[in-house]
Amino acid sequence: MVEALLQAILSGLAVGGAYALVALGFSITFTTTKTLNFSHGEFVSAGAFIGMSALFLVLGLPVTSTTFGQALPGAGAQLLALAAALGAMGLLGWLLYAIGVRPFAGRPGMAWVMSTLGFGVILQSIGLAIWGPKPVVVPGPVGDEVIRLLGIGVRPQELLTLAVAVVIMIGFDFVMNRTMVGKAMRAVAANGNVASLMGINTNAVMIGAFVISSALAGLSGFLLAPIAQASLFMGLTVGLKGFSGAMIGGLSNPRGCVIGGFVLGVFESLVNLWQAQWREVAVFGLVILVLAFRPTGLFGKKLVEKV
Amino acid sequence: MKRSQHLVGVVLAAAALIGITSLFGNDYYLRIVFMMCVYYLCAAGMNVLVGYAGQKSLGQAGLFAAGAYAVALLTTRTEMNPWLALVVAAGISAVCGVLIALPSLRVKGPYLAMVTLAFGIVVEKLVGEWTDVFGGAQGIYGIKALTWDGQPLTSLQWVWLGIGLCALTHLLLRNLLQGRFGRALLSLQADEIASSSVGVRVYRAKVIAFVVAAVTCGIAGALVAQQNQYINSDFITFHLSIFILLLVLFGGAGSQYGPLVGTVILTAVDAALARWPSAQHFLYGFLLLFALYVMPGGVTGLFSKWFRRSTEAPEVSNTAAAPTRIGPEGQGELLVVQGVTKNFGGVKPAQNVSFRLQRGHIHALIGPNGAGKSTMINMLTGLIDPTEGSIEFLGQEVSGRPVHSICCMGMGRTFQNLRLFAELSVLDNVMLGRHSRMTNGFFASLFHLPSAMKQEAATRARALQLLDLVGLLHLAHHPAGSLPYGLQRRVELARALATEPQLLLLDEPAAGLNPQETAELGQLLLRIGKCGVSILMVEHHMDLVMSISDHVIVLDYGIKIAEGKPAEVQANPRVVEAYLGVDEPEEVLCAA
Repeated sequence: MVEALLQAILSGLAVGGAYALVALGFSITFTTTKTLNFSHGEFVSAGAFIGMSALFLVLGLPVTSTTFGQALPGAGAQLLALAAALGAMGLLGWLLYAIGVRPFAGRPGMAWVMSTLGFGVILQSIGLAIWGPKPVVVPGPVGDEVIRLLGIGVRPQELLTLAVAVVIMIGFDFVMNRTMVGKAMRAVAANGNVASLMGINTNAVMIGAFVISSALAGLSGFLLAPIAQASLFMGLTVGLKGFSGAMIGGLSNPRGCVIGGFVLGVFESLVNLWQAQWREVAVFGLVILVLAFRPTGLFGKKLVEKV
Repeated sequence: MKRSQHLVGVVLAAAALIGITSLFGNDYYLRIVFMMCVYYLCAAGMNVLVGYAGQKSLGQAGLFAAGAYAVALLTTRTEMNPWLALVVAAGISAVCGVLIALPSLRVKGPYLAMVTLAFGIVVEKLVGEWTDVFGGAQGIYGIKALTWDGQPLTSLQWVWLGIGLCALTHLLLRNLLQGRFGRALLSLQADEIASSSVGVRVYRAKVIAFVVAAVTCGIAGALVAQQNQYINSDFITFHLSIFILLLVLFGGAGSQYGPLVGTVILTAVDAALARWPSAQHFLYGFLLLFALYVMPGGVTGLFSKWFRRSTEAPEVSNTAAAPTRIGPEGQGELLVVQGVTKNFGGVKPAQNVSFRLQRGHIHALIGPNGAGKSTMINMLTGLIDPTEGSIEFLGQEVSGRPVHSICCMGMGRTFQNLRLFAELSVLDNVMLGRHSRMTNGFFASLFHLPSAMKQEAATRARALQLLDLVGLLHLAHHPAGSLPYGLQRRVELARALATEPQLLLLDEPAAGLNPQETAELGQLLLRIGKCGVSILMVEHHMDLVMSISDHVIVLDYGIKIAEGKPAEVQANPRVVEAYLGVDEPEEVLCAA
């Protein structure tokens, strides 16, 4: 019983790491541009598939193949794939900002909700045209041997996801609070007009926000693919759970988002242990419960509208 | 009458469609027309939510599922009559609509869109994975179809039923939207704070919009399930939610015929591309991405400039006999403020402030910038709750009450930074002011009962009278946002008067007016005062304050430093000190 519980918590933390990366991505664009990428989930899938196709290319398989067969990519190939995924996703983020967000930013009516949603639908239909709807088993960079730890079995990829997520969070926190770039981002978040008067290139910061946010989504997809198989539909739920994590923690507070992501991952994993089909209901129930008492999340700032 | 013409037009159009479809021998085309009807039902309800109330919902597939699975379970597990099952399914969808509206109490904008999206996904997962009840991908077979004369409907009859339902939905929603509820929904899309301050119950209006969208969507789902006699989890996808939203946005959100145009075009395109699902999805994505950029008002928005409403001045039937009495006669205390304190963290815009307002007087609240004047007005009207103290209006405690109910008690207000509903006409703005005084309920409006007609006419007449009072009658049909600043202030004043206030709170009514306009405003306020409305105004124009007010209250840094007649206050040394500072001794100045 204790083993099962520990097992659930550990794998919850690993998935939670991926959620936290997604949540952080939401937080970054929301604080700097007051917009969210509603196709963040599709970006997660895209990250997984771009990483996967890079692996195919390195192994000499056609990009459109849907199985690795017996081929096992080495560490170098995996790093190359990671770089490709991050780079391509960053570019996609920039493209999204340029055609889907910038034309609508500041206009009433949240037209950007529709345009970002549309961008994701396009990405997904391109993916479907190339690979079809079937999920693909992706070999992990650290092997698939189960490690025994205190009587519980852990897959190395889970540990890797957790470790990468934690490192990224700490790094991000450092950049935001200790460097000039981070200060510029926070200044734009606080008040874009004033920031631009101080000589900060707000446009560049906003592009940067979308690039980083999309790269984080790609990273979480890349890390999740070996755990849960790469599928074009995996992103939607991951994106939603990431957003739920961000709402629980408070969208305006990056640290809160990260904590929210981890909490959600563990919570989901524990519910899964008890009753698998109620997992989604329980997760979103938790979100609504939190919002009912703290509309801006557990660690979010209270919004005051000036009259 | 315009309304009866419209009714005849809709009936004729429906009859013509029924006639034309009877000539179709082909089941395939009948099926497309039936799907158009189904999607029109979804889109028409969705338009109320998106186009009028301005709430983006990305989870309509969940409501579609609620209707579909409700009929499926009701007719397969129990022996319920299919027609009754359809009605019950609509009711169940309505309950789901309330559920999905609950978060809108606390969250707004993108948060709400994401919550509705999550709702759709949860339902999708639930019907897909809870196979014991919903059958998952295998689905539920043997759903009983609607019957006529004991026989299941033929494809042609289904289409007739669909067209009939669409025409009915169109007529009912038109009744609802061209009146009290439509205005209220549009106002909350424009500005929730202003909306609640004119007496609109914002949350209730949102729930109504969600429920309308849920019921039409649920009926659509139920029809699909009953026509196919089968439903499975493949029907309920995120793409369905997006498609329903797209129908409205592409056709033109907030326009009467937008959903119809969107439905006809997109369903036809959808049918043409049915063989290539990924091309279909690509097209939706493309439309979502670019349609709003190229045509923010949808397809109907492109043509709307050819159908401009007239902007001519309306006629007022009985200007001469206009009774401008608003509040009751009488004397005594109207509002008693006792020991009110407010802390925003370290800032204290009110510290133990007490004052009393007399019925029939014009009061002024003055003080230097940052003295806490606007905060006081916001506390009186319920936008901000005081940290301590009590505010009694007409003998009843006000603090803690919702904004709209304070408005209903008889407190009207204007805002320092105008909060008009810019897109709505001047007349609609003022008619909204009377929202809380109208008594026609949801169903009276929906079925356009005589009581609703009477209320609407009375409100219109009253609004025109008030526009006459502020001298804006000739601009009644112009969008409020297009007026110059000074005139917008007068529209806001008329809107506040339309709430039939006993106490009118004016937050810097003369801000941005030139001396001539300020003097005119003073005359207008005196006239309003004679109509039985007591006034409390925050104002910086001292000549205005001193010339028209009976009683002046002075705040400085949240503390009341003086009150009394204008002349007394002017002579008070503390007031002079607050405004002009103290004279420093000469030598100190020289030293500096």
